[in-house]
Amino acid sequence: MNLTVNGVAREVESPPLTPLLHVLREELGITGPKAGCLQGGCGACTVLVDGEPRRACLLPLAYAEGAEITTVEGLGTPERLAPIQQAFIHHYAAQCGFCTSGMLLAAQAYLARGGSDDPEEIQEALAGHVCRCTGYAKIIDAVAAAARGDSFDLTTTAVGKYTTVTTGGRA
Amino acid sequence: MAVATDEATEARAAEVLRPTSEEEAVAAFGDGADVLVVGGGTIVVPDLTARRLRPRRVLLLREAGLAGVRRDGSRVTIGAATSLQELVDLPAPLGPCAANIADLEIRSAATVGGNLCAGEGLEAPRGDLQGAFLALGAVVRSAGEGGIVEEPLEDFLPRRRRRLALDVSFEEPAAGAFAALDRPHTHDYTALAVSGARAADGTIRLAATGAGSYGVRLRSAEAIAGDPEAAGEAALRDVDPHDDALASAWYRRRVLPVLVRKVLAQLKEAA
Amino acid sequence: MKVVGARIPRYDGVAHVTGRTTYVDDVRVPGTLWAKALRSPHHHAGIVRLDTRPAEEMKGVHAVITHKDVPLNVYGHLEALGIPADEPLLAEDDVRYKGQPIALVAAEDEELAAEAVERIEIEFEERPALLDVRKAFDPDAPRIHQWGNWYPHFEGGMDRRQIRKGDIDWAFAHADVIVQGVYRPAAVEHCPLETQVCQVVPEPNGRLTIYSCTQALYFSMGVVAAHLQVPLNRLKFVGGTTGGGFGGKVDTATETMTALLALKSGRPVKWRWTREEEFLCSSTRAPWHMEIADAVTKDGWILGRKMLTLHDAGAYARFSPYGVTKHSFHHTGAYTIPNLHFDGYVVFTNRVPTTAMRGYGVTSVSFAVETHMSRVAAVLGIDPFELRLKNANRIGDTSPNGVVYTDPSTVPTIQAIAEAIGHELPAAYRTMTNEPRSGEWLPEHLVAQLGTPEEH
Repeated sequence: MNLTVNGVAREVESPPLTPLLHVLREELGITGPKAGCLQGGCGACTVLVDGEPRRACLLPLAYAEGAEITTVEGLGTPERLAPIQQAFIHHYAAQCGFCTSGMLLAAQAYLARGGSDDPEEIQEALAGHVCRCTGYAKIIDAVAAAARGDSFDLTTTAVGKYTTVTTGGRA
Repeated sequence: MAVATDEATEARAAEVLRPTSEEEAVAAFGDGADVLVVGGGTIVVPDLTARRLRPRRVLLLREAGLAGVRRDGSRVTIGAATSLQELVDLPAPLGPCAANIADLEIRSAATVGGNLCAGEGLEAPRGDLQGAFLALGAVVRSAGEGGIVEEPLEDFLPRRRRRLALDVSFEEPAAGAFAALDRPHTHDYTALAVSGARAADGTIRLAATGAGSYGVRLRSAEAIAGDPEAAGEAALRDVDPHDDALASAWYRRRVLPVLVRKVLAQLKEAA
Repeated sequence: MKVVGARIPRYDGVAHVTGRTTYVDDVRVPGTLWAKALRSPHHHAGIVRLDTRPAEEMKGVHAVITHKDVPLNVYGHLEALGIPADEPLLAEDDVRYKGQPIALVAAEDEELAAEAVERIEIEFEERPALLDVRKAFDPDAPRIHQWGNWYPHFEGGMDRRQIRKGDIDWAFAHADVIVQGVYRPAAVEHCPLETQVCQVVPEPNGRLTIYSCTQALYFSMGVVAAHLQVPLNRLKFVGGTTGGGFGGKVDTATETMTALLALKSGRPVKWRWTREEEFLCSSTRAPWHMEIADAVTKDGWILGRKMLTLHDAGAYARFSPYGVTKHSFHHTGAYTIPNLHFDGYVVFTNRVPTTAMRGYGVTSVSFAVETHMSRVAAVLGIDPFELRLKNANRIGDTSPNGVVYTDPSTVPTIQAIAEAIGHELPAAYRTMTNEPRSGEWLPEHLVAQLGTPEEH
């Protein structure tokens, strides 16, 4: 079966009923999406399927055939962080980080469809995502900041300068 | 690396059927014995993953062209593979009922057919949409033993597990209403909800989800819909709520009359 | 001091947001087998027969372990703190909580491992279960632990954590009112997004590399070494990256069993709990039953406190005696009460053994104490802020366990809260400090408790 993952065409051998999460993590070695519950209840497995956020643990491979899948690895890199990733760093929106992949992708899709910095709308968009560490406030702040196109200086650390380039915008 | 290719695993793997038309889906379903239907997968895939379900044959329904909301005058027909998210902007009761289910990602995958045909879950009733469609006086077209039939949802529900729902249709009501226990968390099933609709001829239909093992008409309440207080109390005669993971039967009994009154008030206001 | 007051990005921030943080389940080792556990379906039962051969004989199954495979099956994690061992790593003759692990299987994939578990033959003889801590003391309660139904090994062979201070009878005789309350917080799940998980790799040099989600790397290393009866240098723990723990990943719940499977099979092994296992079988914050009776004067002095705590430890002691001890030290909260009568029991029930969770032992008593203070204020008709300030810890006051307070912050904290919410305090309370008691804040009954511990 063929699908595209983070821009790369892949041919996978897993049987058609295999949940996409298992295909990504076990067959392709892409471990950004996490196995939090395998019931669709936590959002840690969320990936973008043709730009739309979906629970990968619920999606049979057959339904993903031919689709463009984006995982957190496809959002940005340390050298070129997406604005939503910068916002999460700046606003301390990740503690243990286990929910972060799913949160980022849901947030990215929200921004892509023109989501505003209204906290209620952000909560509704991210309603499928559980976080046990942060209490959500900083995640909402980060998404709101990205929605506004805030800029961040991520270069100052206690041990010297990061080399991360900062850009604002919603791209 | 963890790809299932060895003998034992092949033997364990189910036969997967991927019909690309209604005709193929109906043929693949046959009489429904020994075949598991997967709509969006939101209910069934966790059971497959946990090995609670070990079917020999699996029918993937989403590629059979059964999705979409069609209008023919005042008659609305919704394909069984339509996602719940596509219903969210429809008028009450269907719109708010769908919007109250889970979250965007689940709604975008879950299907109307899967929701209507859901069995009892681990200690909680499912089928959030059943109440809304009952209030709309919906009719279900389904396949299975005896061929394709069209029947009122009320008659379909007791035998839903042996049927392949193809579409559900209803006459657009003059007014609709919906009231639910606020969902405690995104992915929970509806703990308790009441749907109402007033047909063009003034008839009022009321139905509840979460007050029994599947959706039920509140006929006792309908009979005295003009008196919301009494109707709310009367509705208790039509239901059989259980304790489950979402709420206790006691709590459901306390809240049901409140939801009935709210729905009747909404219908009156929409006059 | 470059970081204090500075805005510093998390050092793992970039890794988290780019999906590069490597959690245990992300570690990839070729040839890794999947582990699954056979768990007790009963709250309390004897194991009559256990036959793992049907699982061992399955193609693709590389190891099955039971208690027989554990060099030291019963090891107390806090033996160094004087808590004797009572809990088997894998069940021996009986099971004492639903979900207790009995055997584990390592197989080529998860499906196979699950099937192998189902093929293990086991027969139980069900026994009556004890599920209510209050019933543990009934003469006809089922006996569910070799030590009896509550922990008997506090110092001096005491069967409870006991604190006696001053003269409680005097306090109760001189009170105007006795205010009672019962507080019963329920169990709480840690529910981290990452379930319990472990990956073990047997190395060619005879060591084991253990990828662990533990919150306490060196502690868990000690536990595994003790169960395996190997020196510490046989183990290499890799960890420090946890997908949420909150106290629930101190129990070393997976490492030893996964290591045993790796040793027996000679292959790398991973054991990842399902979300169902996490909810049903992982340890929780304990439920508590707390009864408080305060002897109070009508002008709001708390002369004495009697308290009884029943801590629901679940089936085994684990860290519970330590939790109850911390709990006992805080049973007066942020307030000074000179006459105390506290008894705290670690009670066994046929439930999953309870464990630490943020503020272990103390959050329960804080909840009870603060709720009770509000109740006392309501009964007396006194402003709840004033009641608290009157009895608040001050420099020179002593704690239940004899610690002298050198700079307690109760007074300024409560004043700050009052100001923040616009609650007007009378002048005397607004100007109160935490300086040693004097004048109207030093009633007769508090004179004796001031001073250094040697004078007590």
